[in-house]
Formats: sequence, C-alpha cells, structure tokens
Amino acid sequence: MKPIPRRKFIQGTALAGGALLFLPSLKACKFLNANSSGNYFLDEFGIDEDLCRRLLAKALSRGGDFADLYFEFTVSNYLGLEDGKVNQSYGDISLGVGIRTVKGDQIGYGLTQELTEESMMSAAATASTLCDERITPVDTSFSKPQIGDYYPLAAGFNGIPVESKLPLLQSINQKCFALSPEIVKVNAGFQNSTKRILIATSDGVMTEDIIPAGFIYSSVVAERNGKREQAFWNLGGHRDLSFYTDDVINEVSSKAVNNALRLFDAVQPPAGEMPVVLGPGITGILLHEAIGHGMEADFNRKKISTYSSMLGKKVAEPFVNIIDDGTIPGLAGSINVDDEGIPGQKTILVENGILRSYLHDKISAKFYGVEPTGNGRRQDFQNYPIPRMRNTYMLGGTYTPEDVIRAAGNGIYVEDVSNGQVKIGEGDFAFYVSQGRMIENGKLTSPIKDVNIMGNGPKMLANITMAANDLEMSHGGAGQCGKNGQGAPVSFGMPTCLVKSLTVGGTQQKGGQS
Amino acid sequence: MTYIKDKQMSFPELADWVIDRTLKAGANDCRVNLSKRRTVEINYRDRKPEVIKEATTHGLYLEVFINNRFAGKSTPDFRTSTLEGFITDLIASASLMEEDPYRTLPDPKYYSGRSETDLQLSDPDYDKLTPEDRHAMTKAVEESCLLEGGKKVISVEAGEYDESYEEYVKSSNGFEGSTKSTYCQVGASMTAQDEGDRRPAGYNYIGCRYRSDLPSLPEIGTVAATRTLDLLGGKKIATTKIPVILENRGAARVLGDLFNPMSGGSIQQKRSFLADKKGKSIGSKLLTVTDDPFIPRGLGSKYYDGDGFPARRRDLLKEGIVNEFLVDWYYSRKLGWEPTSGSIGNLIIPPGTRSVEAIISDLPRCILITGYIGGNSNSTTGDFSVGIIGKLFEKGKLVQNVAEMNIADNHLNFWNKLIEVANDPWIYSQARIPSLVFEDVVVAGI
Repeated sequence: MKPIPRRKFIQGTALAGGALLFLPSLKACKFLNANSSGNYFLDEFGIDEDLCRRLLAKALSRGGDFADLYFEFTVSNYLGLEDGKVNQSYGDISLGVGIRTVKGDQIGYGLTQELTEESMMSAAATASTLCDERITPVDTSFSKPQIGDYYPLAAGFNGIPVESKLPLLQSINQKCFALSPEIVKVNAGFQNSTKRILIATSDGVMTEDIIPAGFIYSSVVAERNGKREQAFWNLGGHRDLSFYTDDVINEVSSKAVNNALRLFDAVQPPAGEMPVVLGPGITGILLHEAIGHGMEADFNRKKISTYSSMLGKKVAEPFVNIIDDGTIPGLAGSINVDDEGIPGQKTILVENGILRSYLHDKISAKFYGVEPTGNGRRQDFQNYPIPRMRNTYMLGGTYTPEDVIRAAGNGIYVEDVSNGQVKIGEGDFAFYVSQGRMIENGKLTSPIKDVNIMGNGPKMLANITMAANDLEMSHGGAGQCGKNGQGAPVSFGMPTCLVKSLTVGGTQQKGGQS
Repeated sequence: MTYIKDKQMSFPELADWVIDRTLKAGANDCRVNLSKRRTVEINYRDRKPEVIKEATTHGLYLEVFINNRFAGKSTPDFRTSTLEGFITDLIASASLMEEDPYRTLPDPKYYSGRSETDLQLSDPDYDKLTPEDRHAMTKAVEESCLLEGGKKVISVEAGEYDESYEEYVKSSNGFEGSTKSTYCQVGASMTAQDEGDRRPAGYNYIGCRYRSDLPSLPEIGTVAATRTLDLLGGKKIATTKIPVILENRGAARVLGDLFNPMSGGSIQQKRSFLADKKGKSIGSKLLTVTDDPFIPRGLGSKYYDGDGFPARRRDLLKEGIVNEFLVDWYYSRKLGWEPTSGSIGNLIIPPGTRSVEAIISDLPRCILITGYIGGNSNSTTGDFSVGIIGKLFEKGKLVQNVAEMNIADNHLNFWNKLIEVANDPWIYSQARIPSLVFEDVVVAGI
C-alpha cells in the first residue's frame, strides 16, 4: 500500500472529476440523471434485458455452470498542484463489458470496449470456448437484488467538477506553507472517479451501481540544516464533494507537515525481534496482510494458504475479533454490491479468537457449499472477479492505549504504514513503517522512520496480547490492494494493540553495533 | 443500439484528424498516442485449464497545450462523432489550469537523430501461435514442474501469456513515431508442503519478445519446482552483519531504488538524495550502470521516449560516480538544464568473471537473497528497508534456507559495500543485472 504516483493515475482505470465536462462527448448533448433511474446502461448504450439474455446464452452455448456480464463506464480525473500552481489535469474513460463463463473452478473470459452487439457476441463466444458440450439454452429471467446504500450521493450526482477541486488544492498549498517556514515543497492532488456498473448473471441477477471514489492528498518536503524529510497524508473514500470540507483540508495539510517535521528527530531502532505496539487506524494494514489475504477463499480452495487447515480452530486470544466489512458508509472498501451481483455485507473472520469464515466469491462459495460473502471484486471490466477484502478491522479491547504502551516495555510504536505484502503459503508478511516512535521503559520516546517490519501471520495473531478501547478506521482513499495484477480500493481499522514480538528491520544490531 | 462504428481510419489518418480538430478547437499544440493491444492468457491447474482469457483493447491518449496550460486524457472511443466532444472538453479542462510557462511540447530540434537499427521488437512468427500451441506449452511446463516437485507438491499453476502491441504517436510540432512489439511468457508457480502449516510458494516465469528465445519448456517448469523446494524449512536466524548476494533475477528490486531520485522531477521537487551527487561517487568502483535501449529483442529496447527524444546509450553511473540524471523535457525547463530523457531502456551492469557458486565457496559465511517482501525506499533521504528470503551458506555449503528477515541501510552506504559482480546477467528482464555481492550488511532476524 502506498500513495499512487502520477503515472499510475494515468495508466490506471480511473481519473475522475471532469465528469461534467466529459459526458456530452459520449452521447451528444445529453446530461445524465445520475443515480436516480438505475437504467443507465439501457438509456445510454441500449443494453436491455433481451440483449443480456442473448449474450448470456451465447456465453453458455457450449456449456458451463453460469455466466455473467459486467458492463462498466468509468470517468476519472486527476488534478495536480506543483510549485504553487494547479497545472496538471489527467483524465481517462474506461468503457466496456467483460463476459465470463464458469464451469466448476474454470473460467473463460472475453471482453470488448465496443458495446455493439456484434463485438459483445464475439466476446461471449470467446468466453464460451472454455467448454465443449451440447446443451439446451437457458432463458434467463432477471430480478434486482436488494442492495445497500453505503455511499449515499446527492440527487443528480455526476462526478466532481474540476472547478470545485481547484480551490481545495490551492488551500492545501497555502496552509502547508503557512504551517512551517521549514516547508520547501508542497505537492497536492485530487484524484477521483465515477464508476457505473451493470451486472447481469445467468442465475437471474441484474443490478446497477454508481460508485464515487477518490482522495485528496498533500505531500510535503521540509528542510532543516541542509537535511530534508518528506511526508504524505490523504483523506477520501467513496465520497462526493460534500466530504471535502475545511476540516479535511486542514487535516491533510497539518498531518503531512507535522509528520515531515518530526522526522528530523527520527532515529533508527535496533534490528531484531521486539514488542511492537500498533497505533489506532491505518495500522490495520497488518490484519490485511497477516490474515486477510490468507482468508481469501481462492487461496484456500487451492490449498495454497497457510490458513487452509485452520477453519474452526483457535488462532488468537479470546478477545480478538476480526471483521471484513463492506457496509461502512463512505470507506474506500465499502460496496453496495460486489462485482458478481452479491449485496455488500459484513463477514466475521475471527470471532473470540476462533477462525470463522473465508472471504468468498461465487466459485469458492459453491466449492465450499456456503453462501457467497460479497467479496467477489474486480479492478475493471478487463478482469474477472476474485475474492478480495473490503474494510478489514479488529474490534477494540478493554485497555487504554497507555496501558498497552506501558506493557510493551521496550519496543516500537507504529503510527503510519505503507507497502504491506504477504506470502500466502508461508504466512510471512511485511509492512513498512513511515511514522512511529521508540518505546522505552513503557513510554513513547524518539520518532522512528523507514523501517520494514516482518512477521508470520498465524504467529502474529497468536501474539496479539492486548487491545485498547480506541478502534479507529482509516479514512484514506489512496489505499489500493494488489492481487493477481488487479487493484482494488480497501480500508483498514485497528485499536491500539500489542504484538508480543515481530522482527524490526533496522540498521543497527541490538547493543548499539552498527 | 445507438452505438455505431465509424468508417475505419488507419492510425496515421486518425492522428491527423485529431490533431487538425484539436488545433482548430483552439489548442496551440497537441500530441496524440494511438495504441492497440491483443492479449491471450491461459492458466492450468490440476492438469486442466483454469482460465482462458482473450482481449483486444485500444486507446487514444491526447495531450493539449493552450497558452502554457496543459491537460491530457485517454478514451477507448475512436468514433469521430464522440471525439469532437472529447477534444472540446479536454481543451476546456486545460483552460481551467493555471498558467505554467514550462508546459509546452519539446523543441523539435530534440526529435532528430533516431536510430534506424532494427531492434527486432516484433516476432514475425507471432501470428503462427495457435490455441493448441498455447495449451501444449502450458501443459509441458506444468508436467515438468509436477515431476520435479514430486510428493512435496500441494499445487502447481502453469500459465502462458502473449501479447502483440502497436502504437502510433504524432505531435503537432513534427514528432512522428510508431512501434510494434510482441511478448510471450510462460511459467509456473508451485506451492509445497513444509513443516506445520507452512506452504511455501515459488515460481519461474520467463518472458521474451520472440517465442523462440524462451528456454526449453521442461527447464522452465523444473526450475519453478526447484526454486520452490529451495524455500522449504526457511527460518530466520539471529540478527547479524554478513556478506549478502543479491541474486541476478531480483537485484533490480534494490538497484531500482536509485532511479527515482535520479529523475529530473525528484531533483526539481527537492525529493532526491542524489540531487547534489552529479559527478560524485556514491558507490564502489564496480557500480557502473548503463542504459542501453538498443539491445536486439530487449524487453526495454525502444526508438524514442515519451517526449519523442531519440533513445541513446548512456552511462547513468560510472565506476560508482553519478554520470547522468534522467531529465525529461518538462523538468529540464524547470531546472534550466539540457534534457537527457526521463526514461530508461535496458539496464546493464558489466558482468564479472566468477560464478555465484564460486563466490559463495570463497566466503566464510553469506546469505544469497533470492526473494523480497514488502519494504520501501525513501527517495529524499536514501534510507531503505526490505524483507528478504534466501539461503545461508558457510564455506560454500548450504546451512539453511532463511525467511522472515530484513535488510536495511542508506543507499549512500550500501553501494560502497559492493565488492563483486558475478558473471550471470539475467537476460529475461529490462534490467540485465548480474548477481551482486555486498559485504557487512546488517540482516535482521531474531
């Protein structure tokens, strides 16, 4: 997990924002009634039920258990400020349909950017090549599932116009420079997208969604006595313009500035195993890496996850409860409906220390004989869905944060992290500490920075010995989880908690040798 | 259906049409990139296809410059009827930006001098690759991996991926370029049963521009299995200061940290620990890194960069000294420097004379690093920290596999510890780097 550099924005699916400027080019002079009708793809591209039935029939024309269609239209925009000027606007349109045929755990997949019947039938034919059977065509009848509203939008929402974003970035620039004379460079950016999807499945689901996403960020460089340090902060998620208030601008500015300034006093912690206290909020990335990925059911179905044989077993102390939740309003990982047409929901991974459930897509749910959990997600229409996390967090405990820090004795305290990674089979994971402090004799002391922390998921879970009563969710929007080459927005939550022992990757051996 | 295809135009015809409309709509200058990509992907698991995927995609990316204001935007919609609105909207977006005197197309004088060497980027036999070939290739790799993995195998996934890509780029001030390339990759990943619940996974995927350049398929599968078996029993050891060898195929994971701070953008934005190091030493005499964009069939080979500047061979680092920064047109103007090109072709470090095995046998104790996990590098300070996986040797003998460990340093210290370069450049990558040997590295574990 780390902030997405500008190039990624350009290459990625989604730059949003200029939506109001863009849309007339898609269908001349017709503005859209955003989220009210639920018939966007019918109105704009003529995608009706009959056409969907024909495409699904084609996808299943050589056999298969089920097929689905995923139509996507995403308008994205990135606006950037550098050297005091909002001087960069990058945008992207993503439009197309992905067609999937599934038989058991096998997938045939075709896609096209042209929403003509000819092109779509060709994509469906590609997907159908997975199978080679004689079958009787099924005539699908559709119904709309009841789905949530976890990113409520103002009526007529149609993206965030460029004009509204410009003053926000200028305000960040002014605030950052005003906060400290040691700030020498400020970069700020506003990335946002508006994604519209239509899902139609051969088992009778047809549903639409409109998904706003994005974040605003500040990245600053500070200089003191010829030394430079940098820091970054962002806020966002599935939000419309109303989220980006003065308070948000103030937090994005002050967090980046204060974090950068603090690094001038940072020291390298000793290398090796020691107690680690995770501060509240974004440190939940540890759960994402240490347990979340290992609980994605595709890895378990294939028996390549270290958690494959642990379902129903004790994996942590009884106070540990870990949840993956797609229903928290506005967070980056929330979903009204997943990308297979299953409504967004909340899934308990660990309950009172016992491993309870994997995260399922339709393929794995069928394999395990359970209901899908709404975790079938995909980056865009060019990719088929796979089990992915949403917002992953641990419930708070009974201690105060001070209790937890005191109990650590000597170790490190982690405040901000990036770049998590896990090896699914071993359970070994890493995450990078960009902000933290030393803990000496039960008290927070010098700042630390740029340290990688290593651990093993199952061992780490068993080593969580205390949790405080201060669960906090991360409200960043820049977090992208990568899996099988696909990005997906996710978020995290964590109370202050103590992990008895993890490996800290410093440059000094214990005892002060360097 | 209201979605009707226009009459097909060739890429040059469409580019001319877009440039003409963009200038008529009020832009001072513009650059358009048209591209098309066809990809095929086949994966096998348990001796049957798991995924069959085919896709053809195309894109138009247009950059407009109007009174020193800039915007860029891409679309998959090539219909001229909708492109009219797309262009108008993009110019409106650019007009909303603040004026930036450095936002222009490059001076056309920098476009000249492009190599006419045939870089052999496109396999003439690519179109002969049939679905049956792809399945056969995948099955061959899977079988050899299963055979070598034997009873330790929990799962093997084998895959074939190939693509053909073409692009055409034209600017309103005289740049024109086109590229066609192909790529074919095949490989496997294996998960093995280890002690307890540990299930280490290793892999071996090899990609080439020409299919005929691939190693033998059984070899690819066998190596996937041996690299997985090499992970068994991986454990951390006590934190120690020890020589480490970055294996050739992964060495770019650490070397790559040097290039962001060498970019004009990082330097101008004061985010580079190398900004004041031009002409100065940052590493041992063995640290020579050449950017060579002209290697025939090279994965990073190219004729021109994103600004339209002709590719050229250059030493980025020479005997430890920073020789040339990566400066694109925009940041060259901001810095008041000559542009040098902001992008890299193929990276080369001159190979040494000894094999990794010979080097290991001469070291009393060392760790061969074969994989990485997590980590990051701070481009402003040069501090980095990354998780490692590898093997511990003593006097040439394998002692144990190591996992869950970490190396950390500052790049300005680390590259001075480079004491030897092996003779094994990894040719299946844009970074053709041999294994690199460092002394006195703190490896954190227990």
